Amino acid sequence: MYAKNFDETVTIDTIIKMTSPIIAIDKELCTGCGRCLEICPVEAIAGKPNTPHEVDTAVCILCGQCVQICSGYDAPDETFPTSRAERLEQRGMLPTVQEPLFAAHYRGDIHRVIEALQTPDMFTIVQCAPAVRVAIGEEFGMPYGALTPGKLSAALHALGFDRVYDTNFAADVTIMEEGAELIKRIQENGTLPMFTSCCPGWVKYLEDQHDDLLEHLSSCKSPQQMAGTLFKTYGAKIDQIDPARIFSVAVMPCTCKKFECERPEMNASGYQDVDLVITTRELAQLIKHAGIDFPALSDEDFDNPLGCYTGAGNIFGTTGGVMEAALRSACEMLTGTPLPDLELEYVRGDEGIRKAAIVHEGVALKVAIVAGLQHIDSVLEQIRSGEADFHFLEVMCCPLGCVSGGGQPKVLLPNQCLEAHIGRKSGLYAHDRSLAVRKSHDNPQVKKLYQDFLGEPLGHEAHHLLHTDHSHNRNLV
Amino acid sequence: MNTPYRLNRFVIADPGKCIGCRVCEIACSTVHSREKTPLTAGNMNNPVQSRLYLVRTPQGAVPVQCRHCENAPCAAACPVLAITQKDDVIYVDEDLCIGCKTCMLACPFGALKLVPVFENGLPVEQNLPLLSETAQPENSNGDSDGYKQLHVVIKCDRCLGLEQPACVANCPQQALQVVSPEEHLAARMHEAAVSLAAVVRNYTS
Repeated sequence: MYAKNFDETVTIDTIIKMTSPIIAIDKELCTGCGRCLEICPVEAIAGKPNTPHEVDTAVCILCGQCVQICSGYDAPDETFPTSRAERLEQRGMLPTVQEPLFAAHYRGDIHRVIEALQTPDMFTIVQCAPAVRVAIGEEFGMPYGALTPGKLSAALHALGFDRVYDTNFAADVTIMEEGAELIKRIQENGTLPMFTSCCPGWVKYLEDQHDDLLEHLSSCKSPQQMAGTLFKTYGAKIDQIDPARIFSVAVMPCTCKKFECERPEMNASGYQDVDLVITTRELAQLIKHAGIDFPALSDEDFDNPLGCYTGAGNIFGTTGGVMEAALRSACEMLTGTPLPDLELEYVRGDEGIRKAAIVHEGVALKVAIVAGLQHIDSVLEQIRSGEADFHFLEVMCCPLGCVSGGGQPKVLLPNQCLEAHIGRKSGLYAHDRSLAVRKSHDNPQVKKLYQDFLGEPLGHEAHHLLHTDHSHNRNLV
Repeated sequence: MNTPYRLNRFVIADPGKCIGCRVCEIACSTVHSREKTPLTAGNMNNPVQSRLYLVRTPQGAVPVQCRHCENAPCAAACPVLAITQKDDVIYVDEDLCIGCKTCMLACPFGALKLVPVFENGLPVEQNLPLLSETAQPENSNGDSDGYKQLHVVIKCDRCLGLEQPACVANCPQQALQVVSPEEHLAARMHEAAVSLAAVVRNYTS
């Protein structure tokens, strides 16, 4: 009924996308306390005290930290023009959601997941980011940072996904590509320092405000997008399915991933590579809606081959993790000798800026890590002025990286936030230590992928599917 | 406690510091939840039920809550002795409350509130059938037509058993504090003495 008034290609989904911003503040619920304004790393929120605040969507990097901190809720004693049922519908949330609704919120997309799962011809594939498996249990009363990859996989199978794959697999592929790219830049005097490109809020910020530095950004797509491309090409081949029938869902700790999957250039597979992103919280709400008792589920594995992962892929979910995973592989690729110890404590840490120098078998690498985007500008100034002496910079917008992302379970008590984030981070490292394979280049399914399908890292096929030209993307958006 | 006759302590907000964020209400509701696991929003399967109430006025916002009166009129008025004095807290035994609202009428601060009762996210029904055809049961779970939801009175218990009340511990502006009347009085007297000393010194010199 909507399509009649528009171009044939405009569907209800497009209309929803056009009309609902990914991050917004509900004027009826906002008390104007200003806490979101203070936490926003890019000063995208404005408003006078005690009056509803607004998000400037042009500046907003969609990190969702305002959603996490917001405490203006639909108090049951107060009457609002919009009823709770209407509010749930407006936000794209399930009618069975019981939790309080807060002023700062993100666009819900769960109805489209249900629709895809109920469409008989659709082949549904799901991927989960590393940080989801150390947080989703919290929504079911489990302790902060409870590590539940087996239950997560079991729940996704129970919901009816045809393939339960993993972003961690693609994180390992990212290391193959990004590691090779770093080595190439060092050996061929390319632009240094190279920046990580897996955090979509960081990429958007650089495009929006520092586009003179885009050459520094790794050309690698994020693990989510690499996974999406591989599912509709390599994955479709394995299952002998027409990729047009695949509906690819990503479960992310991040609200900006919703934006990333909709970027027009993210279609190397010939289709939109990732069809839809839902957050950790949205998945928890769907699991409850379906009547699945999450804590009682027996562990199940992720599906092979694209659900096979190493400890290195898993630590992408916290600050320093991409760096550590990259160093575990790059040092070995450069020298032919593995690092003596895989616990790279010197790149691990908390919010802020960290720097480290690694010397291994005559190779010296300098790296920097920024957690929390509000800390980045001084580092970028150092790079502009030529003072930066490091080769590789990892940036994550959120305080401790993805474990504290905008789509993660919302911790209600401010004085428990840090405890929750540290718990999730510890969960990721514990999982890494428990896995038999802890280096991305040792992932047997990644080796097979390159052998059977991609060829070499940075090779023709890999370049086409897994890389993007950031300096040109801006013209397309 | 130094003295058995200690006056009841209470929580009070500084209106100059309060930004109206409602964290105190969320914190209050969270620590008093019957499920005891509401670490994250997804665990809140009841509406927020706070024991202090953010009041927003054109002059600004501030939460109001129980003063834990020494001759508590709510306790004196309660016909079923559901309100008692525990240590230095005026305490409601919610299991005894019959919802008569007498305490609400007696309280000069509006610190007591009747709220619907939930268990495991589902409404608890009253024993008395609802005969009116026009009145629909509130928050019905679908099979409870003809019964109204049970309501009991709740009020601040100053987080008995916790080191610090949740509202005080979580206020991002440190706008809330526990006031001990004796200490408050001593501090005020000290301030008065200091200012008086300054006045006298200025006057004599």
